[in-house]
Amino acid sequence: MDRRTFLTQASGCAASASLIAAGCHFEPITKDNTKTIEVAVFEGGFGIEWHKDMARQYEQLHPGVKVNLWGDPRVDEKIKPRVLRRNPPDLASCTLPVWKLITAGRLFPLDDALASPAYGAEGKTWKETLRAGVLADYVYDDKTYALPSNLGVWACWYSKKLFREHGWSAPSTWDELTALCEKMLAAGIAPLAFQGKYPQYAWSTILSCYQRLVPFEKWYDIEDFKKGAFLDPSFVKAADLMQELAVKYFQKGALAMTHTESQMEWANGRAGMVFCGLWLKKEMEKALPDDFEMGCFPVPMVTGGTGDPKAIYSGGGESFFVFKDGKHPEIAADFLKFLLSIEPARDYVKRNDSLTPVIDCQVGIKISSALQSAVDAIEGSTRMYSDRLNTLYIEWHRTLVQQAQADLLRGAITGQQFADRLEAGAEAVRSNPNIYKPPARGVPAL
Amino acid sequence: MRGSFLEKLGTLVRTGVLGLWMLGVVLPMFWVLATSLKSTKEVTRSPFGIPDALAHPGAKTFAVIAENYTKAWVGSGFSAYFWNSLKVVSISLALILLLGSMAAYCLSRFEFRGRNVIYNAFVAGLLIPMQLILIPLFFQYADWSDVLTRSFAPVARMLQLGNLTVSLHNSHEGIILIYVAASLPFTIFTLTSFFGTLPGGVREAAMIDGASEARTFFSVMLPLAKPGLITVAIFNFLGLWNEYLFGIVFLADNKLKTLPLGLASISMQAQYKSDFGLMFAGLVITMVPTLVVYLLLQRHLTKGITAGAVKG
Amino acid sequence: MSPKHLSRDTKRFLWIGILPSALLYGLFVIWPAINALMYSFTRWDGLSTPVWIGIDNFVNLFKSGSDFVTAIGHNIYLTVIPGSIILTLALFFAWMIHLKVAGSTLFRVTFFFPNVIASVAVALLWVLLYSTTEMGPINNIRQALHMEKVPFLESARLLQSIVPMMVWSATGFYLVLFLAAMENIPVDYYEAAHLDGASPTLQFIRITLPLMWDVLTTGIIFLIVGGLKFFDAVWVMENGRPSPATHTMSSLMYAKVFEEYNVGYGTAIAVLLFVLVLIITRISMRLLKRERLEY
Repeated sequence: MDRRTFLTQASGCAASASLIAAGCHFEPITKDNTKTIEVAVFEGGFGIEWHKDMARQYEQLHPGVKVNLWGDPRVDEKIKPRVLRRNPPDLASCTLPVWKLITAGRLFPLDDALASPAYGAEGKTWKETLRAGVLADYVYDDKTYALPSNLGVWACWYSKKLFREHGWSAPSTWDELTALCEKMLAAGIAPLAFQGKYPQYAWSTILSCYQRLVPFEKWYDIEDFKKGAFLDPSFVKAADLMQELAVKYFQKGALAMTHTESQMEWANGRAGMVFCGLWLKKEMEKALPDDFEMGCFPVPMVTGGTGDPKAIYSGGGESFFVFKDGKHPEIAADFLKFLLSIEPARDYVKRNDSLTPVIDCQVGIKISSALQSAVDAIEGSTRMYSDRLNTLYIEWHRTLVQQAQADLLRGAITGQQFADRLEAGAEAVRSNPNIYKPPARGVPAL
Repeated sequence: MRGSFLEKLGTLVRTGVLGLWMLGVVLPMFWVLATSLKSTKEVTRSPFGIPDALAHPGAKTFAVIAENYTKAWVGSGFSAYFWNSLKVVSISLALILLLGSMAAYCLSRFEFRGRNVIYNAFVAGLLIPMQLILIPLFFQYADWSDVLTRSFAPVARMLQLGNLTVSLHNSHEGIILIYVAASLPFTIFTLTSFFGTLPGGVREAAMIDGASEARTFFSVMLPLAKPGLITVAIFNFLGLWNEYLFGIVFLADNKLKTLPLGLASISMQAQYKSDFGLMFAGLVITMVPTLVVYLLLQRHLTKGITAGAVKG
Repeated sequence: MSPKHLSRDTKRFLWIGILPSALLYGLFVIWPAINALMYSFTRWDGLSTPVWIGIDNFVNLFKSGSDFVTAIGHNIYLTVIPGSIILTLALFFAWMIHLKVAGSTLFRVTFFFPNVIASVAVALLWVLLYSTTEMGPINNIRQALHMEKVPFLESARLLQSIVPMMVWSATGFYLVLFLAAMENIPVDYYEAAHLDGASPTLQFIRITLPLMWDVLTTGIIFLIVGGLKFFDAVWVMENGRPSPATHTMSSLMYAKVFEEYNVGYGTAIAVLLFVLVLIITRISMRLLKRERLEY
C-alpha cells in the first residue's frame, strides 16, 4: 500500500469515526446534587437585571439549585424550535403558540405551586397573594398554565405640565375627549400620536370603547367568540368612533410611524396625547424631558353607553410558562413563585416603575406620577378586564385584524365593513377544527 | 482601412460598456472594504471619502482598522464563526469527495444488478429542493437523538464515561451529515460522467499488474479524475460555505454558527445596527475567503461551467 | 464487464464504494423526502399526534387571499422581473465579450465576483447600500441630485429593492455560462454568414441564439428554480420576520412551521415547491428536446 492510499484510507477512517460519535456530549458523573434550571426571559424595555438579581437571591435561598438565566430581545425565535424538538428550557417568558402547547399537554400546570405557601407572606397560599384577574388568562381544564410577571393598564397618556399651561383637564367622557382634541388643534398641537406602523395599538382602545357602550354580558361575547359578536351595532359604533379619532385627530403622518417614532413625537410635545400601555414610561425614559410629568386617564365613557364607566382595560403581560419537557419543572414553578412574591415584586416596582400581579406590591414605595396615575386608575376601577384573542387566535389576530385596523384607521373602510371582516374571519376560525376554542366563560366573577 | 477603424471603435465602445458594468460590480465591494477601515464616527462624517488610514497612514489611523477587526474577530465572535465554517465545510468536502468519487466510480465502471436504479435514485436527488427535507429532518433528528441517547447512555455510564446525551441538533456533526448527503447527487452525477470519459484500459492494466480494486481506484483512477474532483470541490465549497437555511434550523447555538449565520444574526441585532465599523469588518471577513478561493481556482470553475454548458 | 465476471475483490469494493453513499443519501434525503409527503397530508402541530386530513392543506393553500397565494406571487415576481433582466444583460455582455474586447478575462473574472459571495453577505451589503442613514450611498446620491430619500427597505418596497441586488449578484454566472456556449459554436457558421453579408445583429439572432438554445434553457431553469426557492435575502433584509408583503414560499414555510406550529400546512408548501420544480424542469426538458429536433 503506498503512502497516498494509506493517507486517504486513514483519513476516511478518522472521518467516519468522528461521525459515529456525532453530537455526543458527555457530562461528568458527579456526586454533587446541584440541580440547574434554565430560564429564558424576553429582554424588552424593562431589561433583565431584575430577573438576574432574583435568580441570585433564589440560589442563596436554595443552595442546591443553580438558575441559569438568559435574556434576548428575540427569545421566542430561540425557544419555539426547541419546544418542537422537546428540548425547552425549564421556564420561559415569551410569545408562543401557547394554546397549542397547553392542549398538547406540553406545559406544566402551576396549581400545586399556587396552592402552596407563598414566599414572604405568612399563612397565605401563593394564589391568595396574586390579583385574581390575571390567573384566569391561561386556564384549561381547570388548570392554570401560565402567570404574567407584569401588570399593565391601557390608558391615554399626557403631559400634566402641558395640560396645566393650557388649562386643560383630563376628559371623562368621549365628547370631552373630542372637545379637548379640538382645543389642541386650535392651540396648534396634534391631539393624538399613534403607533401607526403597528395598527394593533388601536385594538385595546376599540375594545375599551366598546366596553363603555355595552354591559359586560355583551362584551364577553367577543371574548367568547360567539357567532355574530362583532356585528353588534355598538361594536360598529366603537369602530366608527375610533375611525373618527384617527381621521380627525391623529398626528399627520402617524400611520407611517413606528411606536418609538410616534411616542417620541408625543414626548417632545408635538402631539398632546397617546394611547399606550403602562410600559410607555420605561420605554421612553431616555427620551422624556427631565421635568416631564406623565399623567393618564382611562378610555373615557361614551355618552349614552350602557357599559360600566369605571371598569379598566388592564391585564397581565410577559407571561411565564413552565415546560413539562424541562428537566426540573417543579423547581421552575417554585422559582416562578419566588419571582411573583412580595419582596421581589416590590423590587420590580422600584426598579421598573411598573406593577406586578402581586397584590399591594406598590404600597409604601415612592412611585412616579405616571405610575401613581395608573394606580389611581386601577384603584378607582370596578373591574379589570382584557381579552385573550391575540393569544388564542394568533393568525386571525395577526393578519386579518391587523389589516382591517390599518384600513379602518386610514378611512378606507367603514366601521360596518370593519365589523363584517372581523366576523367573517372569526367564522372561519370557528369552523376550523385545527384551532382550539376554549369553552365560553361569560363574565368572570370578581 | 475604414473597416478596421470601425472595428477598433466597436471594440472600444464594447470595452467601455463592459467597463461601466464592471465598475458597478466592483465599486460596492470596494466601498465595503474602504468603509471597514473607518471608525464609526468617520463613517458618518465622510462615508465616501478615502479612509484616513489610507490618506494619512500612521499609528493612530491604523488603530481604527485594528479596532474594527479586533471587535469583529474577537468581540463578536467572527473568529469562532470562521473556524466553525472551516471545520464544517472541510470535513463535509472531504467526505463528499471520498464517498462521492467511490460511488461514482463504481456506478460508471462496473455492470451489476441494480446499478441503474441506484444511479437514477441519486440523480433524482438533483430535483429535490433542500426545503423539502428541512422540516422532516428537524423532527427526525429530535427522534434519533432521543433513541441514541436512550440506547447508549447506560453503556456510557457503565464505562464510566459520564452522562451521555446525543444531540444531532446543534452539533457540527449533525449538519455535516446533512450537507454530505444533500451534496451527493450533484457530486455523483458529475463524477460519474467524468469517470465515463476516462480511457477504459487503465483499470485493466493496473489489475493485470496485480493491484486490488481499491488500490487501482485510489492510486490510478482517482489521480486521473483530479480535474473533475476539483470542479466538484469548488462548486460544493461555494454552496456549503454560503449555506444559510439549514444553518438557521440546525445550528441555533451561537458558539456553533458558521460565517453567514453569524453575520446574519449580528446584523439582525439592534444593538449592533449603529456600529458601522463592526458591520463592515464582519462583512469583509465573510466575503474574503470565498473570493480568495475563487481567484485561485477560477479557471477550474469556469471550465466546470463551460463543460456543463457544452453538455447542456 | 458482465455481473458474472465480478471477482470477490470487486464485489467487496462495490459494496464499500456504494453502500456509505447510499445509506447517507437514503437516510438524510430520501427518507425525509418521503416523510415530507406524509406530513403534508396531515394536520399536525409538531406536538400532538398528527391527524390525516387528505388534501385539505393543499386546498387551503390555494384559497383566495391565503398567505400562500400572496407568497407564490412574490416568488413569481422575483423570478420574472430579475430573471428577464439577468438573461438580457448576460446575453448582451456575453455577446460583447464574444465579439472581441480588450481584457476579456478581466471582465469574466470580475463579473463573477458577486456570485461567490454568500447570499447573506450580499443581502447585508445591499442593506448598507440602501441605508437611509447618513452613510447610505444610494440615498446620498439621490440627495445630491436633489431627490428625496427613499426608504428602500420598508416592507412594501422591499421586493422591488431586491431586484437590482439579484441582477448585480447573478448576472456574472449566466454571462460565463452563455459565453462558453457562444465560444463553442464553430467559427465556420459565422464566416459563411459573414460572406452572405449578415450584420452582427442578424448573426446573433440567426446563428448564436438557436445554436445555444439548450444552454439558454438550462439558464432559464436555473433562474426559475432559484426564484422558487428564494429565501436568504428576504430573511436577512426583514430581520428574520418577513411580513405578508415580503414572504416567499420558503420563508412562509419556515414561519408556518417554527413560529405558528402548523407543521402539516408548512410542509405542504415545501411539497408544492418540489412539485413546481419538477414540473418546470420537465416542461423545459420537453421544450429543449423539441427545439433540438428542429436543427
